Amino acid sequence: MTSIPPSQPQDQPEVVNTQNADLGDGVNRCPRCGSTDIQLRASTGMLICLFCRHEWSEQRAEGQLFDDGDLTQLQGTTLGSGAADIAADANAVVTLKCQGCGAEVVVNTAAAMSSRCHWCRHVLTINNQIANGAVPDAVLPFSLSHQDAVARITEFASKRRTFANRQFLKEFTPENVVGVYMPYMIVDGNVSGDVFGHGEIETRRYTRGSDENRKTYYDADVYQIHRHVDFTVDDLTIESSAERAMMDASVNTNNIINTILPFDTKNAVRWNANYLNGFSSEKRDQDVEHLRPALEHQLLSIARSQAAPSVSRYDRGVRWEAEKVDVHGTRWVSMYLPVWLYSYFQEEKNMVHYIAVNGRTGETMGSIPVAQGRLLAVSAAVGVAVEAAAIVILVVS
Amino acid sequence: MGIGAEVLATGLPILASGGSGDGSPAGILLAGPIAAIAVYGLLFRYYRNTDKSHSFETETRIQAAPITGGDQKVNEIRGTQQSQIEGNNVGSHRQRVRRAP
Repeated sequence: MTSIPPSQPQDQPEVVNTQNADLGDGVNRCPRCGSTDIQLRASTGMLICLFCRHEWSEQRAEGQLFDDGDLTQLQGTTLGSGAADIAADANAVVTLKCQGCGAEVVVNTAAAMSSRCHWCRHVLTINNQIANGAVPDAVLPFSLSHQDAVARITEFASKRRTFANRQFLKEFTPENVVGVYMPYMIVDGNVSGDVFGHGEIETRRYTRGSDENRKTYYDADVYQIHRHVDFTVDDLTIESSAERAMMDASVNTNNIINTILPFDTKNAVRWNANYLNGFSSEKRDQDVEHLRPALEHQLLSIARSQAAPSVSRYDRGVRWEAEKVDVHGTRWVSMYLPVWLYSYFQEEKNMVHYIAVNGRTGETMGSIPVAQGRLLAVSAAVGVAVEAAAIVILVVS
Repeated sequence: MGIGAEVLATGLPILASGGSGDGSPAGILLAGPIAAIAVYGLLFRYYRNTDKSHSFETETRIQAAPITGGDQKVNEIRGTQQSQIEGNNVGSHRQRVRRAP
């Protein structure tokens, strides 16, 4: 068995500077005409100047910010400077001085990365990586239009009308879908996993007794099993907002947003806050160390998944009893990913229901509040019908 | 999994444990309640999708070296009525077990 010595690196991580040196905080102008009215054009994935229609884009992050090499050689912890720890005293609200008129402009980075100066109308953006974690290493721009998102949400909900909450149907307004850039950590890893347990192979099956007392018995051989797998993961995507990472379907619908993963993160570009103009955003509030348990959970799950085909001969199943993961190296990149989000607050349950559309692939998932009365009535009706059939069978036999 | 298959998957184990498996004809009377619960559960999940999440085990780019390890026969079981190993978790990749040192 191959055994790689565990190396859980606790030393200082290597930080790669991912700051976009071409941009600063405040006024960032169109390279052709000098206007600050710049937006993403989703159909091309390019930035467009709303004044002169000039289009351009930032460089792709992959291969530019990091060596896109052999992940089996990854050792220790490497992270982009945009994924660095958030300062304890960092404030989400940032005040910028407008270079156009000198006014002070406030940007709440918890929800946006730009603001328009209310005096001279310049758009001010935040591009310098700041201690509150709001500026990531890279951003994956929307490529799915608002119109497409509305169509997908409408289609999703229209398939679920019969048992939907009546108030939800009455207030359903898919045009209100909002484009949100969500914060994630994109993680590469070089890992070894081990699982230990017991498996059983059926050797004989037979019945004893007669008629109503007939019972099936099994003989089986029991094996002690160990599996080891060395593997790499490329662009594992982990929520870096504590609120979004809390997935408990009894109290929230964050699992809906999680379900529309993955994204084509290889197409992410270097940070430019203008990609977010016209969209909302949520700020990262988790550091790398906070996310290690979530990463290890996913790596262990992958190790178990990888081991599964090798135990298929155990036809009575396998009981895994112990597991471990040795993380030899990880690379962390903070990234904003595009999600079209339709939300509905169900007052009686005090719950926000989301319908989410992946802003790149169009994958759609949602939570539609149910009309409990209708659902119970139909379920009971089916139960009664089946029960009646069962009674008939009993009487006839 | 199709809708019919999900109903069967939900209902049949309950039906089996409810009495039909032990040969009692009265067990069939549980079919009605089981069908009602299965229909409710199925429709609820179809609307609320509470069981959905990102399948990172299969939707992430993973390069794995060939699996190694060992298998050693340690026991034989004779005449059990259990149709599978107790605590079978071979398909429950996200169910965490004890962390080995």
